Amino acid sequence: MNDRRRVNGPPGGTRPPVYASLLQSGTGADIRAQRQRQPTDLRKIFLKTGLIPSASGSSYLEFEPSASLAAARSNPKSLIPPSSALKLACTVHGPKPLPRSAPFSPNLVLTTHVKYAPFAARKRKGHVRDSSERDLGVHLETALRGAIIAERWPKSGLDITVTILEAEDDRWWGDVPDSHDASWGMMNVLAGCISAASAAIADAHIDCLDLVSGGVAALVSDDSTDSSSALPKLMLDTDPAEHRSIVSACVVAYMPARDEITELWLKGDSSKVSTADGDERSGHEALIDGAVDAARGAHTVLAEAVRESLQKALGQS
Amino acid sequence: MSNQRQASSASQTPHLSPAELSYLYTSLSLPKSPIRPDGRSPTQFRPLTAESNILPGTNGSARIGFADGTQAIVGVKAEVEKTVLSTDTLASGEGGESTAATSGHGSWVQMSIEIPGFRDDDALPVFLSEMMRESLVGAVVEGGDGGGDVMMAGGLKGRLVINKRWHWRLYIDVLLLSQPLSYPLPLLSLTTHLALLSTKLPKLKSQGEEDPFFDDDWEVAEYLYPRGSKLKATSGLASQYVRPPVTLLVVSVGENVIFDPSREEIAVADAVLAISVTRDTEAGNLKLLSIRTIDPPSRLTQPAVPNSENVNMLGATAPTEDIAVLNPATGEEEVPGVWRPRRGGVKRSVIANMIKTVLKKGGVGEEVLEGLEGVEVE
Amino acid sequence: MPLDTSTTYPLTRLRLDGRRWNELRLLQAQISTNPASSGSSYLSMGNTAIMCSVHGPAEGRRGEASGAAGSAGAIVEVDVNVAGFASVDRRRKAGGSDKQSSRIATTLRAAFQSHLHTYLYPHSTISIHVSVLSADGSLLAAAINACTLALVDAGIPMPGLLTGCTSGMSGSASTPRDPRNDELDPLLDLSLPEEQELPFLTVGTTTCVPVGENHMDDEEEETKVAVLNMDSKLHCTYIETMLAVGMDGCNQIRELLEGVIKGSNRG
Repeated sequence: MNDRRRVNGPPGGTRPPVYASLLQSGTGADIRAQRQRQPTDLRKIFLKTGLIPSASGSSYLEFEPSASLAAARSNPKSLIPPSSALKLACTVHGPKPLPRSAPFSPNLVLTTHVKYAPFAARKRKGHVRDSSERDLGVHLETALRGAIIAERWPKSGLDITVTILEAEDDRWWGDVPDSHDASWGMMNVLAGCISAASAAIADAHIDCLDLVSGGVAALVSDDSTDSSSALPKLMLDTDPAEHRSIVSACVVAYMPARDEITELWLKGDSSKVSTADGDERSGHEALIDGAVDAARGAHTVLAEAVRESLQKALGQS
Repeated sequence: MSNQRQASSASQTPHLSPAELSYLYTSLSLPKSPIRPDGRSPTQFRPLTAESNILPGTNGSARIGFADGTQAIVGVKAEVEKTVLSTDTLASGEGGESTAATSGHGSWVQMSIEIPGFRDDDALPVFLSEMMRESLVGAVVEGGDGGGDVMMAGGLKGRLVINKRWHWRLYIDVLLLSQPLSYPLPLLSLTTHLALLSTKLPKLKSQGEEDPFFDDDWEVAEYLYPRGSKLKATSGLASQYVRPPVTLLVVSVGENVIFDPSREEIAVADAVLAISVTRDTEAGNLKLLSIRTIDPPSRLTQPAVPNSENVNMLGATAPTEDIAVLNPATGEEEVPGVWRPRRGGVKRSVIANMIKTVLKKGGVGEEVLEGLEGVEVE
Repeated sequence: MPLDTSTTYPLTRLRLDGRRWNELRLLQAQISTNPASSGSSYLSMGNTAIMCSVHGPAEGRRGEASGAAGSAGAIVEVDVNVAGFASVDRRRKAGGSDKQSSRIATTLRAAFQSHLHTYLYPHSTISIHVSVLSADGSLLAAAINACTLALVDAGIPMPGLLTGCTSGMSGSASTPRDPRNDELDPLLDLSLPEEQELPFLTVGTTTCVPVGENHMDDEEEETKVAVLNMDSKLHCTYIETMLAVGMDGCNQIRELLEGVIKGSNRG
């Protein structure tokens, strides 16, 4: 759909040129960023609530950029950033009465909007929400609706808006843009949206069953060198820029207190996985369990951030 | 409008009273032997009529009508398009070796779903089309040199490549002919599967890197998804051919896993999953492609009030009648026979069970794929 | 590749698809195709294929029927959807509906609003959904016929069958007609290549009484024009001929549709 209200930039977007000579350093070694974390290590998360005073609840979330990014900034070898990070803000408005024309609802009516800032990703996003943003909105709605105790607010609505300021990329910038097109970055974005929205909902004092947090796990086959028999390995909290080939990925919204998943999105071929000896789990089970572990990790940050905001609120009163 | 927005993730919830919902839930969650309102077994699908190649103006088309009257028509159209080689690809020389030109690109498959009463960009059509497209382009066959057909190396994306400079663009238009009575996913997915099976592309006459030109005899056109001769199919080799994925809607009620839920059944479900599977060409069994949770509409239903809390019933009943018991499936205290909207999510074991039922040998997934192959595509 | 219909025709007296000037394309129709709706039909005229479903008469949506218009009789709502795969080249629709389909919808709504006995159903809505599966000319005419069949299937009272047909001239017809040297023939039931090149009009006629056994006797007096639509330019001296041919086509189609309706009852 065209955006007729604004003067738009060129439709294809712009991106810095990448020269072949920059892809290979002088020694021929690849300057592609490599994952330096352990497979089960998560990136640090910065999460703060209550930054937007006009909203009834708000939060800001940021993933720590990978170590290689800092290194590349201090000692630039290439114009290509080695990886991207995730920065997003979430606001919650409500609970507020539904408009008079709306039909009766015995429960809280949740509406979710996910919007990329035009500059958030490598490719410019328009001001009108495109299909991937609408898709993310539906995922987020599913994840949150399971956690909110909706029957305590009949006839009311709750608007949740997530603005993504910087989005995880789907691949390394230096890679051929068409090398693969699966939107793995979107899954990280969704996990971030879930955690941030959960914090914002807690900040708005909406009753929930538990703080629902998002986590991503992926099966990665990075060994481009040796035999193709190497099976994909399970990694938690994958940054798509750090991996050559992600085979499949899974994002969950998880409530640790109840050990329940409110949202599950798995895609890709998860039939082959290299598991530890004696591990009888099939690929998709390992993937789901991995994502749950990642979500547990995010939950500790979430709980801390919510506690902080509560202490602040108590201090003020 | 806001009503439609609400219907985005779940289909419209039928107007059932809490008592009806409770009755439905109880009968569907009976351990081991659920009783469905229409008497089906948990894995049984509703009867449907299917035909393919109904529109001569398309490359492939199909129509499926469910017994409840909902019908979908899918038309597939293909266009030749120039592959845009990005400057990056050219520059990277033999290092990148233009992977896009050989492995295809997901954006070459476009899908649009039209549902009466919904706009194109409403959440439900967008969500459904993303869900089906994702499994369609994601189904990459690895090692096409093995038992599988060489033509389908790289999956659907690879099949669309003509040569390094040209490719096919596939438009899949899904048309739902009436307002959906239940969540339309199974109907749309089955129809799309059938339409893709019947899709033919004209036979290529040019060779190599020439600008493509095609045999204009439609009789010699080749199937998008190559199919074996009858002889091979009967000797049990049919499973070697790549098939389009099919997305199944699975719900769990209590401990039971139920397939192809009707609108009433989905309204009381604890969890709703859309599971996309296809046939694994190497192993011959089923392969999981994607899973998505769908917001169960049971979260939007109206709760009932137990007699003990009902002011009108004060003193009318003995208080001992309402004793909250623990529902083993949800882990919540519930009064039997009193409906409470579902809360929370779904346990991992339940998800694993649902996936297992779909994937297992001789399970529902295989049955569906075989049934669809049985629809004669001429 | 636009096919030059106007030059080949005078040589052979046969149209591009081998028809003579007064021949209809093969018309196939079926009613009660969709059990989920009150009435439904499938109709194909040549390569134009249309599915139509009718819902109602049903209680109008709250807020809409409360106005003055809703109280007098049923409101007819028409929704036309041309599928992306309907024409030769796949067409991307921008934001819901395009000009062509909304024009057809407006014409259909106006035609059936006045044609049906809406006064029998106050405060209610009859919604018609038309899906064009394959478009090869005479779209409006085919849509009128499909709607009529679906409305008959839904059992909504109407005075007679409303049928539509297109007619055109076999040349540009920009100069006054010369009665002594008449080179141009009127054409019946145009296909898409003909529609793109030749002037044509769409006419829809109805009979004022339900069809009977001897309705053929005094047809001239009974036929009424309900829809008349022309977008192309031609000299006014040709109109009468085209109209006459078109109305004759409508009568032929009416007989065919009657056959469909009666045949489905027997089955």
